[in-house]
Amino acid sequence: MDAIFQAFQLVATWPVILTVASAALFGLLVGAIPGLTATMATALLVPLTFFMDPIPAVGAMVTCAAMAIFAGDIPGALLRIPGTPASAAYANEAYAMTRKGEAETVLGACVLFSAIGGLFGTFVLIFAAPALAEVALSFSSQEYFWMALLGLTCAVFLGAQSPVKGMISLLIGLFVATVGLNNPAGVPRFTFGSTEMMAGIDFIPAMIGLFAVSEVMRTVAAGAPAWENVQVKVGNIFGNWGGMFTRYWRQQLRGNLTGTAIGILPGAGADVAAYVSYAVSRRFSKTPEKFGTGHLEGVVEATSSNNASLSSAWVPALVFGIPGDTITAIVIGVLYVKGLNPGPTLFLFNPQTIYAVFLIFILANVLMIPLGWLVIKLAKGLLKAPRSILMPIILVFCIVGAFASNNAAYGIILMLVFGVLGFFMEENDIPIAPCILGIVIGPLVERTFVTTMIKSDGSFLTFVERPIAAVLFAVLVLIWGSILYSRLRGNREEATG
Amino acid sequence: MRLSDTMLGAILLMLGLAMGVYAYGFPAIPGQRYGAATFPLLISGGFVVCAIVLLVSGFRASPTPLVMRTEWTRKPGALTAVLITILCVIAYIVLARPVGFIPTSTAILLILFRLLGVSWWKSIAFAIGATLLTDYIFRTLLLVPLPFGVMPRMPW
Repeated sequence: MDAIFQAFQLVATWPVILTVASAALFGLLVGAIPGLTATMATALLVPLTFFMDPIPAVGAMVTCAAMAIFAGDIPGALLRIPGTPASAAYANEAYAMTRKGEAETVLGACVLFSAIGGLFGTFVLIFAAPALAEVALSFSSQEYFWMALLGLTCAVFLGAQSPVKGMISLLIGLFVATVGLNNPAGVPRFTFGSTEMMAGIDFIPAMIGLFAVSEVMRTVAAGAPAWENVQVKVGNIFGNWGGMFTRYWRQQLRGNLTGTAIGILPGAGADVAAYVSYAVSRRFSKTPEKFGTGHLEGVVEATSSNNASLSSAWVPALVFGIPGDTITAIVIGVLYVKGLNPGPTLFLFNPQTIYAVFLIFILANVLMIPLGWLVIKLAKGLLKAPRSILMPIILVFCIVGAFASNNAAYGIILMLVFGVLGFFMEENDIPIAPCILGIVIGPLVERTFVTTMIKSDGSFLTFVERPIAAVLFAVLVLIWGSILYSRLRGNREEATG
Repeated sequence: MRLSDTMLGAILLMLGLAMGVYAYGFPAIPGQRYGAATFPLLISGGFVVCAIVLLVSGFRASPTPLVMRTEWTRKPGALTAVLITILCVIAYIVLARPVGFIPTSTAILLILFRLLGVSWWKSIAFAIGATLLTDYIFRTLLLVPLPFGVMPRMPW
């Protein structure tokens, strides 16, 4: 109880509240602008968080990500261009409703169910994370090894169009993670004589390059065309809330549950949750024929789901230090910088910090309703903001942000290299998310593997001798088995059909 | 620029092999079988496996050109625009220290705005405005030591 009280004191200060409010607006703006993702918003925020205290820094990222995921629905509904990949699953459906003149209904549903989904995920986080942390206290390197491997598996197979390309992306990330001195043997690897590379590849410039610079390059290549006719005449978005709530509570609940479950899975994030939930909704709907023609049901389920997964993705991130999605991958980097090393001991030694983060989660999802309404009202102006002016300014921000990570030109060079890499990867349909997770999880996999092998004197049996490790191994085998099975069956059906 | 499966596979194969050979030379932890080289060798093995999968599917499929130009590169000026963006960042890396943040950033913004067809007046106004704002946020509020170069310190 004492810790909760302390947490209130930590959050209820002007600097924290102001930071959270400005991060919320920033997230809403970035999310509402098509092509700028929630991950990019978080990555652009990182250089600023260096200069904040731990609570406002983490609070800013929590709020910004939650707002950006919701705000991605706005251009999805009004222009059929999803603002973030997490909204892509139902952008068509939402736009079809706008075409029918129901823009206020769909946007109202997006705000309401995003906020509820986010709160649901937050409550699961609040109750599940400390309980899991107790279990995790007994974890040794074997369990962490399997957890990390589970995260990598999900990163490759969930959401990737082609598993081989997902795998390539993951390997690139793992390779990047091996650079430098930071390995169990303390040997400089792949530094090619550079002193700066001894410290490893700095995560933040890499992130800014992969997510922001590559996007700037893509937009510049397209000549930054303006968006076509924005149809914006949004009436009262609150009008139908009561009706929607009683009508779609089943879909909403199912969306919350699916989203939370996918979020907790290490390596899978909001976009996967939205696609799965939309498909589930259609599968169990009484009127599946209405899907795609501007039907609210699937939108409700998917928009609940992506926000729920955003909150619950923090469970593996805080408890095991294994990111649930690309956003928490970035956050883990910031947590380390702030001395809040993720892991079960965080709950023992710093409970007030964790509770403060939980409080900010709740605050952010409650704030979403009034601020979301404001941004929907402003949407017309926002969607007219010319990309030809926005993109160069974002590039300068990237440069300064990458420089700020260690106050040297090395950061900018890294940013540029990763920007070009990200651009090239997207050109070849190689997804970026597995690469990020590889960079974050890679060192953990390596460290736990080598430590375990040294402990056991080279015997592989030790990986399955402990009960929890054996269970995790079984889960991993099941996932791989089911993937292989469905692929084989798919191939056979292709061959016979 | 889009590489065919065969091309991508060939590049990855070379990358994986080079990495494996390089990693093989890493010193071992004395008395241990697993050390600095273990993980890089596994990764290089992974690259080789992916490369082989791509090569096989590349050979099976109907022959495609090794390097294809994607849709956007056919648009006149698109490739140049990307090159100019990259050159701008390189120019910043080279010039920021001797010349200073404010002139370099203004120049880069001006070039990119014009490249994207923003009118001269707007370009100049936004380039100077955005630069001064960035300078204020990062140097003054966040104390990032952006290089001064030839510019005198701003009054804030």
